[in-house]
Amino acid sequence: MKSDAVVVGAGLSGLVAALRLAEGGLKTTLVAQGVGSTHLSPASIDVLGYTPELVESPAGALPAFRTEHPEHPYACLSLELIEESVAWFRERTEILGYTGSLEENLLVPTAAGVPAPTAIVPASMAAGDLRSGGHFAFVGLRAMKSFHPAYLAENLVQAKLPSGAAVEARAVLVSDPGVEPDVGALDYARAFEDPAFRRAVASELKVHLQPGESVGFPAVLGLDRHAEVRRELEDALERPVFEVPGLPPSVPGIRLFRALRAAFRRAGGRWVMGAMVVGASTSDGSVTSLSVRAAASRTSAYEGRWFVLATGGFASGALHLDSYGEVRETVFGLPVWGVPPVEEPRFLPGVFDDHPMAKAGLAVDERLRPLGPDGAAAFDNLFAAGAVLAGAEPWRERSGNGLALATGFAAASHILEDAS
Amino acid sequence: MSATAKLRTEVLVIGGGSTGLGVVRDAAMRGFSTVLVDRGDLATGTTGRFHGLLHSGGRYVVKDPKAAEECIHENWILRKIAADCIEDTGGLFVTTPVDDPTYADTFADACRAVGIPVEEIPVSEALRREPRLNPGISRAFTVPDGSVDSWKTVWACARSAESYGARILPYHEVLRLIVEGGVMKGAIVVDHRSGEEVQIDADFVVNASGAWAGRIAAMAGCEVTVFPGKGIMVAMSHRLVDTVINRCAMPSDGDIIVPARAVSVIGTTDVKVADPDHWEITREEVQKMLDAGENLVPGFRSARALRVWGGVRPLYQEKAAGADTRDVTRAHALLNHRTRDGVERFVTITGGKFCTFRLMAEETMDAVCAELGIERPCRTADEPLPDSESRRYYWLGSRVAQREETLHTDQLICECEFVTRSDLETALRRRGTTSLDDIRRMVRLGMGPCQGGFCIFRATGIMHELQKTPVHVANRALLDFVQERWKGVQPILYGDQLRQTRLDEWIFQGILDVGHLPGDESRSAKPEKVTT
Repeated sequence: MKSDAVVVGAGLSGLVAALRLAEGGLKTTLVAQGVGSTHLSPASIDVLGYTPELVESPAGALPAFRTEHPEHPYACLSLELIEESVAWFRERTEILGYTGSLEENLLVPTAAGVPAPTAIVPASMAAGDLRSGGHFAFVGLRAMKSFHPAYLAENLVQAKLPSGAAVEARAVLVSDPGVEPDVGALDYARAFEDPAFRRAVASELKVHLQPGESVGFPAVLGLDRHAEVRRELEDALERPVFEVPGLPPSVPGIRLFRALRAAFRRAGGRWVMGAMVVGASTSDGSVTSLSVRAAASRTSAYEGRWFVLATGGFASGALHLDSYGEVRETVFGLPVWGVPPVEEPRFLPGVFDDHPMAKAGLAVDERLRPLGPDGAAAFDNLFAAGAVLAGAEPWRERSGNGLALATGFAAASHILEDAS
Repeated sequence: MSATAKLRTEVLVIGGGSTGLGVVRDAAMRGFSTVLVDRGDLATGTTGRFHGLLHSGGRYVVKDPKAAEECIHENWILRKIAADCIEDTGGLFVTTPVDDPTYADTFADACRAVGIPVEEIPVSEALRREPRLNPGISRAFTVPDGSVDSWKTVWACARSAESYGARILPYHEVLRLIVEGGVMKGAIVVDHRSGEEVQIDADFVVNASGAWAGRIAAMAGCEVTVFPGKGIMVAMSHRLVDTVINRCAMPSDGDIIVPARAVSVIGTTDVKVADPDHWEITREEVQKMLDAGENLVPGFRSARALRVWGGVRPLYQEKAAGADTRDVTRAHALLNHRTRDGVERFVTITGGKFCTFRLMAEETMDAVCAELGIERPCRTADEPLPDSESRRYYWLGSRVAQREETLHTDQLICECEFVTRSDLETALRRRGTTSLDDIRRMVRLGMGPCQGGFCIFRATGIMHELQKTPVHVANRALLDFVQERWKGVQPILYGDQLRQTRLDEWIFQGILDVGHLPGDESRSAKPEKVTT
């Protein structure tokens, strides 16, 4: 099969790169084993949250951050490009109504009750912004075992906000009768799409709310009809309603995945899921095709002029550490940067220590092309994006989705430059 | 300093491992009033940190026939009284390509001599039963090995003892022993959860503190030398084998795989350490275990390693010995400090193995009775432990069967280990603890493949709600348990478990941002006592 561009991976960076390439007029194929980071992540775009001090303005902090971390993927990207990627993303995800900017991080509550810094959030989370304090009621659903509003609220009231504002928060429990005792996020999301269910929840809830309180729900307020669900709840409760993301699977992340997939398909992209890249053909310093084994079928060659490796890090299996301590990149066997020698520790005894291997990944040139053993781009037409890149600690920095977006966007931009 | 509280008992048992619980149950069943103390929770020393082998005795039969004979004797008794704690996996001794082929006949003869039922089966039959076994094996013997859950056993002993009036006091550490005029009178202990000191007056004190026995004995001026022999174990995800697999050779490093619940445990090493509380698991030891696994089950290295842990065997020898603790007898030692050191009403029971804990307890209480000049027979070999009355063995599907019964009435909090919300709440109420690790040992919370990635947060929320735990205490419980789970995966992080760990990091740091939870920065080592 022939394409102009082949993107490997359906996490945020792969989705972004594929969509941008397809919109740019290239015949684009996205190949992935399965869904990726979107189904795990809260769907907010964290660009830079901690350095490790709390970052109030990503735009303000990025220049110094890039100078201090020359190995970081952000060091390959200009601030303009990062801003451009965010603006582009907001347009493509209009249906989700992302708000915020790089100028000032929002602070939105995690399910543990930490005010977490993030640059832009979907509309469903916007009313949870804590920057200027406020009064909040968090809703516990009886059968939702991964959301504990009293724990959340008690932590949140202790938040020390940069503005000095106070947060008042408490838990309100609803009995949501008629459901099984153990209901997952997706099933709740579907239940909320049923008008009768959400009306029942709203009417039970309403009497317990106090004036001035905004209402935080676990992030299960509908899947495809989320806007309608939230609007109706806000109307019924006569106050702002927002979602708090929690343990996977992430309903807001699935909405984001669906929005980007739909846009990619509208742009004429070809979508191949359940397919594993098992090898590559190369010639004269270029990648010519990927060997792709689809589920229960034979291996076929996916030819292309440009390739984007958006396969993720260790979590997705893109990078593999074996029992002898050897690390490899699983598609091309590219050298992995940031791995201490075998006899030295890779991980330290404290779970939150600075682990020597935390930043391992692919080193890239200024055009995001992974480097080969000689330190030059391994292939002239292979680009890398997202968690496979070396130099970042996405969770500690709170930069994961921001990096995925910016590098996926940048990789596609470099390819579009080459193509024009 | 005078103790603020006082307790009075006939028999005080020091040490909450299998031996101590065996003694306290035996004492209670003989009609003594009895109290057991441990500095930590029950079964957190050596008892909770071995591979879970119910010995047939085959392992020691050539080197230490006396220990082997005790093993098979107790094996039959435990099957009778602790069936719910035992999976009847059976065991195989196989001669692998690296083993001395002449050992097999010596082994079989030695088994017969001490009464271990042994039967040679054709290699083809062994491979049919265990298809993953190294096809290069040359001999195979069946023995009645099994797999035993030490936590379940210890907690069942505790419940049994309590039903006979015993008091079990975890988190009570002995500060001093009270010896007056050459007679043991009791102990001053500190309750780590309240900070309060308690004086326990006793007619008799049994030191059952295993690898720590020397420290306790020294408090009464008695010199007892116990060599802590460190052994490490690696749990592999899945049942790579369904039978206990032993190398048919003299005991050495990495010569056994024990199928335990949904995992397989490979063990072990034996390294003398200076201090039973301070030692490390080295990369070399882990690599040695993986190589050993590869020899028994080819492909072992590409399987998923879940967790590694170590324990220290209490190896007692009256006279000084060399560095190789493996040469020290695995038989136990009962020391009468009246005849040995001139301290009356005080004995130490140490050495031995988990499998012989009941016998050790019986001999100890026989000695106590003799010292007190009274005759009360032991009944522990006849009365089944709680939940083992039906004498049906635990089997792999037990928990699935239980879960199916509550499918529509209860929440699953730990999906890996089938821990329901009721299980968790019952354990929280029963223990009144804020340590999720204490709860783990009771219900296996967080012990499966994801090592707590999902259930730790849920359990924290439930604990906070149920016990009205102050939020900073709940936060500490969460962080401590995340750290406790990390401790066991950090030395074996590779392959699929590394993938899992990255997901767990994503959850705790990315989604929940627990690194920025409010609360006091200091972590207390001891959980708090709460009442619900």
